[in-house]
Amino acid sequence: MAASPSPPKLTSSMTTPTPEQRVPFWRNVSFLKWLFQLVVFAIVAAVAIWLYNNFRNNTAESGIPTNFNFLTNPASFDIPGADFAPTERFQNAFVIGVLNTIRVSIVGIILATILGILIGIGRLSKNWVVRKISTVYVEIIRNLPLLVIMTFTFLGVVLQLLPRIENSWTPLDLLVISNRGIGVPWYQDTSGLALFLVLLVGLIGWWLIARWRHRVSDRTGQPSHGGLIGGAFFLLVLVVGWLLLGASFTTPVVDGRQIAGGIRVDPSFFAVLIALVIYTASHIAEIVRGSIQAVPAGQGEAASALALSGFQRLWNVVLPQAMRIAIPPLGNQYLNLIKNSSLGAGFAYFELTNVTQVTVGNGSPAVPAFFLALVFYIALSLITSAFVNLANRRFKLVER
Amino acid sequence: MSDTSPSVFADATEGVGDSIIELDHVDKFFGSFQALSDINLRIGRQEVVVVIGPSGSGKSTMIRCINRLEEHDNGRIVVDGIELSADVKNIQEIRRETGMVFQQFNLFPHLTVLDNITLAPKQVRRMPKKEAEEWGMDLLTQVKIPEQAKKYPGQLSGGQQQRVAIARSLAMKPKVMLFDEPTSALDPEMIGEVLDTMKDLAKGGMTMIVVTHEMGFAREVADRVVFMADGQIVEVGTPQHFFESPDEDRTKLFLSQIL
Amino acid sequence: MTTTVAKPSRVTWVRRNLFRTPLDGILTIVFGSLGLYVIFRGVLFVASGFVNGRWQIIDDNLKLLMVGLWPVQNLIRIGVSVAVLALWAGVIGGVIAGRQKRRGTSSIEGLTAMQRASDLTRRFGLVTATLLLLLSLTDTAGPWIMVLSAFVAGVIGRVIGGWIGVRFLPIWVSRLFTVVMVAVPIGVFLYLTSPWLPDPLPAARSSEPSAWPLAEWEGFMFNLTSAAAGIVLSFPIGLLLALGRRSKLRLLQGISIVYIEFVRGAPLYVLLLMANVSLEFFVPEALAPSRVVRAIVTFTLFTAAYIAEIVRGGLQSVPVGQEEAGKALGLTPTKQMRLIVLPQALRNVIPAQIGQFISLFKDTTLAGLALGILDLLAGATAITQQPDFRGQGLIIEALVFVGFLFWVGSFTMSRESQRLEKKLGVGTR
Repeated sequence: MAASPSPPKLTSSMTTPTPEQRVPFWRNVSFLKWLFQLVVFAIVAAVAIWLYNNFRNNTAESGIPTNFNFLTNPASFDIPGADFAPTERFQNAFVIGVLNTIRVSIVGIILATILGILIGIGRLSKNWVVRKISTVYVEIIRNLPLLVIMTFTFLGVVLQLLPRIENSWTPLDLLVISNRGIGVPWYQDTSGLALFLVLLVGLIGWWLIARWRHRVSDRTGQPSHGGLIGGAFFLLVLVVGWLLLGASFTTPVVDGRQIAGGIRVDPSFFAVLIALVIYTASHIAEIVRGSIQAVPAGQGEAASALALSGFQRLWNVVLPQAMRIAIPPLGNQYLNLIKNSSLGAGFAYFELTNVTQVTVGNGSPAVPAFFLALVFYIALSLITSAFVNLANRRFKLVER
Repeated sequence: MSDTSPSVFADATEGVGDSIIELDHVDKFFGSFQALSDINLRIGRQEVVVVIGPSGSGKSTMIRCINRLEEHDNGRIVVDGIELSADVKNIQEIRRETGMVFQQFNLFPHLTVLDNITLAPKQVRRMPKKEAEEWGMDLLTQVKIPEQAKKYPGQLSGGQQQRVAIARSLAMKPKVMLFDEPTSALDPEMIGEVLDTMKDLAKGGMTMIVVTHEMGFAREVADRVVFMADGQIVEVGTPQHFFESPDEDRTKLFLSQIL
Repeated sequence: MTTTVAKPSRVTWVRRNLFRTPLDGILTIVFGSLGLYVIFRGVLFVASGFVNGRWQIIDDNLKLLMVGLWPVQNLIRIGVSVAVLALWAGVIGGVIAGRQKRRGTSSIEGLTAMQRASDLTRRFGLVTATLLLLLSLTDTAGPWIMVLSAFVAGVIGRVIGGWIGVRFLPIWVSRLFTVVMVAVPIGVFLYLTSPWLPDPLPAARSSEPSAWPLAEWEGFMFNLTSAAAGIVLSFPIGLLLALGRRSKLRLLQGISIVYIEFVRGAPLYVLLLMANVSLEFFVPEALAPSRVVRAIVTFTLFTAAYIAEIVRGGLQSVPVGQEEAGKALGLTPTKQMRLIVLPQALRNVIPAQIGQFISLFKDTTLAGLALGILDLLAGATAITQQPDFRGQGLIIEALVFVGFLFWVGSFTMSRESQRLEKKLGVGTR
């Protein structure tokens, strides 16, 4: 038998590069990546240094300070509608600005969500009239610039349509509507804290009763009606608490050029709020509609096949899934609303941007002031994003 | 089937032969397209009827008309003596008596397996929670996956999900079970477990209408086979007659393509 | 007993859609009457405005609202530019249509002229009607000629483009073509802003320069051009940021993320206010930019962050297997990105990009408020203070006009975007 040639032996020098034969550095992938990073960093640093130098030179020439000392200077302006004297510090003004931004944002988010959900569901209604009206609302408002809407609510509605204080409208003798504010009935003769406690007791009672009713329902199988019965209890608590505390309402009346009694809603706040709510609700309506339609049709069919009624189908199957889909875009809209509140600066509403602008106009250095404002907005954004992410994670569907 | 082994499934106790579902001259249009023409069919109690045919033949449309997921345009559909019409009360009653298993399972992803099964009994039949959960665990045991009760549908395999879907429909104690291509969306190795479950159901005496491509199942379990094409019933017969000596040419053509 | 079906009669339709249940009926009545009332008042408002001259304010100030203080005798430059741009747009449209015809993906092949006409009317009828309405408010022939010539130029461009699109051209020709197409808008821009290029008509030539510096662009023209400039200029920046965010190089990723999150957390209005007062601190004295330039720079830097997120979404939507296939074929990472991943990614997010453009278009109104530029909205509020019109509450008419113009533009673009989405088959969920 002829000896077959043996296969060439693999020597170690053929399989691994010897230390002297390393990859040349200009072709080495890791080195190149590192070099690229260095180049980019150099470019960015050069640009940043150039900008910074310009900044330094220009501010040195014009003598404008670049630190945050201005915060402790007196404001020299006052803020209508708030307890703020021109002699107080800027930083107090900032705080008021932030509070005003938060106030209009929270109220705006709540109202816009309610309105948006109603309109979004209206777009899916079987009633032709409701459907058409909802669609028209969304298609018109969604395509308008927010500034146009706000200009309209401020210059058009508040300044034009609302009557002067002497000729205020007083519908039902409960409200006072004028262009110096809207008077709304408010409580008096009792501490806000006590009323808050009554509210809290009522809400806790509602929750406890709903839970109790659910347990009963689990045991007997009959519908729980927890929400309704709990709600009735809540109202009962409110009424009893009101009477016990001896609280009373004050209705606003026109007193010269003021509104006495009740609580006054600042016209600027009103205009900004209404514009934000109208605009954001149209976007929320689209999100609600889209998320309900995104729930696969088969889910509704399976629920119907199990003889669940229309309401049971919506409540137990469609809405829970739609809500999960809607959370991220909804959170985005809330962020937009918070940022859009800055437009109030153009309409005499003293939220953060307005305060910053007036501060700068009164001699404070622009860059630190606006930088501060931006930091606040970004902080608000990040906080809201965090809440949205939390909600998203809590409600995520479990998959393998 | 005449073999009535005791199990939780058997409920229909009237004699075999009473018709529980009647379709008389049923038509269905989608716009100008006619999906069903002149469908006449009577399903007897405890009968297992398998409906086969090429895609687009109207098989799914027909059984979806029975529980009003589709509305028939002409003709008459009667389920257990209740006439299917626009009357919501009738529709809900019929849906309580029929159960449907979908090709895409359609389990509710936000509820656990057990909650999926107990949702309808609690909401519709007003069953107390404990009773519903015991009943649900019974059903899960019958479909052989009791350990999955607390898991979510997304964590189960396709075959397991479909078995849960079968248990969910059975939870309402229906008199008729409708199957719309139950195994068409499953990987091959999981088809068997679902078909076994369906065979157990049939043995237990449940009235079943099954739209499927699984010819083996038809041969083994069906009392009658219905062949549909182009929206019409072409031929009806026992499995033996059907697979060995069909009458119509159309039937022969279809069988030659798939067997 | 058979139930025969008839096509749902009017009565049945009314019953089903409006009065299904008693509650339904109440809703119909309440909202129906509300809707009718609103429509009635609206029509009354518009019509009576013509009768008692309240629309005069728009009539008199139309030029101001559209192009600001551009000198009347030099509007011809705008006319020429618009015509050239219409030709350019027509060519682009034609090339796209021609390419589709070549590949067999055309949606207009085989349609009769009537069908095409009705399709075009449905899509652009609103814009055309608005245009005609605006033209009817002008007193001179100039605007009519401009619109007509633009229309003709557009049609000619479409024909030329269609001719080019169906043909296979040699590489050097198509490269040249791309260069020309990119150069045209830049050329138009230079023509409009530099006084050294001559006027087209001898009669219009005067001894004074007739171009209008960018700094003074106002009116609706500002809204349109600043939005266009913003989206175009922001695109390369946004693309780089998106790639940077995806890169595995920590530094690059860090810079990109910081930039994107910082800009996205900031309200555009505040950024514009900042640009108004502080931009000059960051550049040497000589470069101190005009208000319009500041606005455009801010729009660009702002939109870049949003474009970055959109492109990032697009890149994520391309299956990983595409990149792997490119790698397996031996393509360098740059080539993979340029030839395989990016084309698909960008195509997938065209609707989102159009959405961003519409958003920017509407947000250009903020520049009016923040920087004092007399854009359409600011101009409209300003004219209500003119001596002829002061104190009559004409702000409502002015705002309705402004809102209408923005609405027409935004609505048409968003409908086109939806149509494109359906055609491309790449909707988001």
